[in-house]
Amino acid sequence: MNSVSLRNKKEKRFQMYGMTAVIVAISFLGILLFNIFSTGISAFKQTYVAVNLNIPLDINKSEINPRAELNKSFLKMFPEIQSRTERRAALSLLSKGARYEFEELLDENEGKSIEGYHWFLASADLDMYIKGTVKRQGDTAGRIDENQMKFVDQLESKNLIELQSNKYLLSSADSREPEMAGIRGAIIGSLYSILIAFLVSFPLAVMAAVYLEKIASKNRFSDLIETNINNLAAVPSIVFGLLGLAIFLNFFELPRSAPLVGGLTLALMTLPTIVIAARAAIKSVPPSIEEAAIGMGASKVQTIFGFTLPLAMPGILTGTIIGIAQAIGETAPLLMIGMVAFVVDVPGGPMDASTALPVQIYLWADSPERAFTERTSAAIMVLLTFLILLNLTAIYLRKKLEKKW
Amino acid sequence: MAENLKVSIKNLDVHYGDKQALFNVNLNIMEKEVTSLIGPSGCGKSTLLKCINRMNDLVEICKIRGQILLDSEDINEASQDPVLLRMKIGMVFQKPNPFPKSIYDNVAFGPKLHGMAKSKEELDQIVIQSLSKSGLYEEVKDRLFEPGTGLSGGQQQRLCIARALAVNPQILLMDEPCSALDPIATAKIEDLIAELKQQYTIVIVTHSMQQAARVSDRTAYMHMGELVETGLTKTIFSNPQHEKTQDYITGRIG
Repeated sequence: MNSVSLRNKKEKRFQMYGMTAVIVAISFLGILLFNIFSTGISAFKQTYVAVNLNIPLDINKSEINPRAELNKSFLKMFPEIQSRTERRAALSLLSKGARYEFEELLDENEGKSIEGYHWFLASADLDMYIKGTVKRQGDTAGRIDENQMKFVDQLESKNLIELQSNKYLLSSADSREPEMAGIRGAIIGSLYSILIAFLVSFPLAVMAAVYLEKIASKNRFSDLIETNINNLAAVPSIVFGLLGLAIFLNFFELPRSAPLVGGLTLALMTLPTIVIAARAAIKSVPPSIEEAAIGMGASKVQTIFGFTLPLAMPGILTGTIIGIAQAIGETAPLLMIGMVAFVVDVPGGPMDASTALPVQIYLWADSPERAFTERTSAAIMVLLTFLILLNLTAIYLRKKLEKKW
Repeated sequence: MAENLKVSIKNLDVHYGDKQALFNVNLNIMEKEVTSLIGPSGCGKSTLLKCINRMNDLVEICKIRGQILLDSEDINEASQDPVLLRMKIGMVFQKPNPFPKSIYDNVAFGPKLHGMAKSKEELDQIVIQSLSKSGLYEEVKDRLFEPGTGLSGGQQQRLCIARALAVNPQILLMDEPCSALDPIATAKIEDLIAELKQQYTIVIVTHSMQQAARVSDRTAYMHMGELVETGLTKTIFSNPQHEKTQDYITGRIG
């Protein structure tokens, strides 16, 4: 065999190795995405049960006990109910949150009578059965026993059970009841943390990079700093969490569980990443441009802010977004500073107690209820969407800044 | 030919760290003449040039001893501001290095920096004048606001010259301004140098002896950090006093 065909064969083989590697990587990504989507997509729908209401116009609505009134109306739909066990079985099909929806309905219809069927949130157990997450076995399905199943069958035959879009998922914070749990609190908490992390780490890191690259004299001391910054980038994130705990909570006595502290801790973690990226970007600015500016009589500061930084900005921004994207998905340091608490309120500011998206995912994944499984995946989908948006912003900014020059 | 002394370099020693780059250089540069510095690579031509507008300040390990007098004032004295000095002494570099801005902004950079124009009209005037002086205005007048980096190499170099002229310097330092250009662009720059010496004192570093012979009034030959010989270009090329100069000019070294 001659050497040319041998070489061609080698080339082909090498190409094939490369293709295989790419295909394996893509299929892993595909499996991951498929798994998350197929589990999580059902969390965007929620089971509702229709209750026949008959509340007359002349009744003083403030005197109504909403829970009792709703239960009464619901039980009226099943005249055959005799025992307390049956009554309890029927009522457990409604969510504990249904009474709040009922209260809202009452408020909306002040001075009007309410009649006919209205939709109310179903319990998570019923939801799991309707979505088919738990399969029916005889007269039971998961945590729905034979008593409840009678009523479920009745309601279904009258088309009084329906899947509607889940308004809780994106509009409320965490809850003990899976059907009422949402990720709004976690999203807002994450946004506050990331904003603070960016506002703190970006200017600090850029100025540090400028100083190290352009102003500091090169000696033992600057070498030491450089080595240490590179090492910091490799420090496990939980260590930064401990640092945040020691400094921000114990020393400065900032509020526990607050996105402010989370953001500051994430800023510590992101700082070395941005410094390294910014230094590389500053280093890659052609020295001829800086020489030209200096030669025209520009001072060092004028040269740095007029030419070096604008030219390095696309690179710096890319590094920053990578750092921020890393921070947005970070859980460990947030656990250390108490952002892992069960918080039912959407935070109103960076000082309020809050969780963050990855922490919420961690909390839900840990939860025994089946209904939290799909919400875990839904939260992951939201987190991934955030990351994609962040990366798109990075690409857009880079393109825009590059065009300017 | 004017015979006024513009720059006088006296006993100049330059060290880069432990390495000495210039040894006791003495050179006089006359007003409104072209002085060329020639010599083999690494002989210290560019170092000498950069000392004249203190570009070597940027090099941390660079130590300068001796005097450089501009109009009888020592430029290395503490009272001298390097920013003002570089306004008086413009520089054109080996590789064309226009700013990544529009042609207009490239030329307007210096006047804006030093607050030379009081109004937009005045600034426009300076830009047009400078571009005309460097012979570029006719070629670019329709695209003044397009990026300067879009021009050809020769045009870019003339843009850099226009940029340097815009602050109305007294001296123009040119560090091998044609080494990255083709012969036609080189010829244009050389014509330009001949025109510019009516108004400016020019110091040019060049590798091409033909170029030195064509454009300069005086030539200084440098070797291994020492100034070997200096004199009228005609004399140096026709009748070099020093053996090393002769060897270099005739192509035996370098």
